[in-house]
Amino acid sequence: MVMDLRDKGNGPGRRTLLKSAAFGMFAFSVAGIDMLLSPQEARARDAALTVLSHDEAALLEAFGEALVPGARVAGIAHFVDANLARPHAQSLLTARYLDVLPPHDAFYREGLAALDRASHAALGAPFVQVSAEQAKPLIAAMLPGTIAPWHGPPPALFYLAVRSDAADLVYGTPAAFARMNVPYMPHIAPPGDW
Amino acid sequence: MVRPVSHNQAHSPTRHARVDAVIVGAGAAGNVFAAVLAEAGKSVLVLDPGPAWKPADLYSSAIWSRRLRWGGPPVESTGANAFGAGFNAGWGTGGAALHHYGTWPRLMPADFTMQSDHGKGLDWPIGYDDLRPFYDRVQTEVGVSGDAVAEIWRPAGEPYPLPPLQQFAQARLLAKCFHASGMKTAPSPMAILSQDYKGRPACLYDGWCDAGCPIGALANPLVTYHPRAIKAGAKFVNHAHVTRLLPGKTARVAAGVDYVDAAGTTHTVLADMVILAASTISNPTILLNSTGGDWHLGAGNSSGLVGRYFMTHSITSVYGFFDDEETENYLGVTGAQATNMDHYGKLSLGDGAFGSLQWQLAPTMKPNDLLGVAMARADLFGADLTRFMERAVHHLAVMFGFGEGLPLLDNRVELSDRVGPGGTRTPRVVHAFAPESIRLSQNAAKLGLKIVASGGASEPWAGPMANAHMMGGTIMGTDPHRSVTDSFGRSHDIGNLIIAGPGLYPTAGAMNPNFTNHALALRNAEHAVSRWLS
Repeated sequence: MVMDLRDKGNGPGRRTLLKSAAFGMFAFSVAGIDMLLSPQEARARDAALTVLSHDEAALLEAFGEALVPGARVAGIAHFVDANLARPHAQSLLTARYLDVLPPHDAFYREGLAALDRASHAALGAPFVQVSAEQAKPLIAAMLPGTIAPWHGPPPALFYLAVRSDAADLVYGTPAAFARMNVPYMPHIAPPGDW
Repeated sequence: MVRPVSHNQAHSPTRHARVDAVIVGAGAAGNVFAAVLAEAGKSVLVLDPGPAWKPADLYSSAIWSRRLRWGGPPVESTGANAFGAGFNAGWGTGGAALHHYGTWPRLMPADFTMQSDHGKGLDWPIGYDDLRPFYDRVQTEVGVSGDAVAEIWRPAGEPYPLPPLQQFAQARLLAKCFHASGMKTAPSPMAILSQDYKGRPACLYDGWCDAGCPIGALANPLVTYHPRAIKAGAKFVNHAHVTRLLPGKTARVAAGVDYVDAAGTTHTVLADMVILAASTISNPTILLNSTGGDWHLGAGNSSGLVGRYFMTHSITSVYGFFDDEETENYLGVTGAQATNMDHYGKLSLGDGAFGSLQWQLAPTMKPNDLLGVAMARADLFGADLTRFMERAVHHLAVMFGFGEGLPLLDNRVELSDRVGPGGTRTPRVVHAFAPESIRLSQNAAKLGLKIVASGGASEPWAGPMANAHMMGGTIMGTDPHRSVTDSFGRSHDIGNLIIAGPGLYPTAGAMNPNFTNHALALRNAEHAVSRWLS
């Protein structure tokens, strides 16, 4: 579902965007035009990122895809980025459940940087350039906390948070339920496809 | 009419009109107090830091349900077994009870006498018989479904007003496992309607309880005591973060509270009675931040025990596959479909374990989220996870063993060095299970693996020990030097301060706390009315 906000007088005021966000979509900017998009749509349209840099987003996509195949196309980078841009009380990130102290942008940035350094040290290349098979031992060392070198948030916590973000998008949407032949059965359907 | 007035650096100090009672927190206990006091003719103002949720806000989505969790100042969680504050605490009207699962067992009589019986932990200042009539009344008020006869472990009390909830394949398969092990099961006692009741509709079994129940089949405060409180004239102010209690003319009196609104403006509410019904973490946080007047250690803290004896339940998860069956693990309710309490006796698991154990069978598992299918094997990723998911969403079954955590002095809510609203300090929760509590979880895992294997589940495994529910921190007791309140939640130190919620519990049992929370709040609210300021 895409909503172009250009027809709102002088553009979408913050009130409009917040109201729309409350109804289940995120505001993204595509070529200078504010739109309400799902993360997958935002990625497909190359929507601008608010918090993460291009390189950080690419790394998050690579890591998310390695954890949960399908996360890249599902828009994990835009999902995380949009939530990091929201007030903490409105965030939908699992980091909230995992008692990661806000602000969460530092958690993601430092975790991604630590992963990339570990990839350089262990695999001789940045994480975005290694294959899933090459990355497997590195990732497998995160949950038990044996990955080295690691200079960032607790590796198990970072692994669980990003893995859950990816699982949300790949397995937690009405479309994903349908793909798995699991009935969604909503009382109140979430807006859009997630 | 209650009209807020404000004061901060930018505005002149202003105050609300004085009220009979100010209630801090619009969760389960706060709404019970608000209803009882307002119906008794008291002017009541309820302050809550979160938003005013409405049923229409409760999207059926594990992703969106995260808005219902604590969204206030950060809670640091630390210790050898750090407590999951972010998952357990609520945010906004309804509090944690808005996203709770409605699993409502009663505490057992032996939960009230642990110190006397075993020389461990603490005793309650009341016994089961003191709470029994309030359990009975609350279950009739809100509608609890279950089978009192099948629950052979259940203490004395009126039968449930509603028959048990429907069960699905996952529950039937796991029940067979218990029966094959010579153990019984019973339908879980649930505060979820199996039939239409008092104008509320019956459950649809779609398993979205965790995201809040917009139809009101699950007894969250939005459909139980909150409407009663509103009807009786209680006023609710949301986005009102209470920062501290204000000292009165003497240290024995609280004059009221200060709160900070969403714009950062501080308001003062003066009241004859202060009811502290915020969360188990927020109550001690507010008390410890209240250092005005002679409250040098914090309000109500002459014992030094405010924040102490924080408790949680261990969770032992046991999984197994039934590849020849569709387990329907996406159907039912998030809490549990069936229960077993054969090992509720404090010593019954033996081998170094101490404490009660309650099994909850066949909670709904959605594919994602903390208690979902993907997290059942958090170690899997990539293609291995994809294969696991394809199998597990249709063939996995799970049961949770809730284990009792002992009341330990060192487990605590304390103030961190972080600065929160109004210049207060934010909370830190320090928690570690006692060695015998860890052994309890380990023994439960061994037992659970035997049970599911005996019933034909393949590849059974146990997940890592987790925790849920929060209790203690403002415990009640008879001795002012060894507890924070008396049995009615009245502060030993401050005559017009009542504390409510599971923070009062001196022991945790192994039962989900919300039924007891309601029963205790009803008892204490009615006592407050009958002995108003006496």
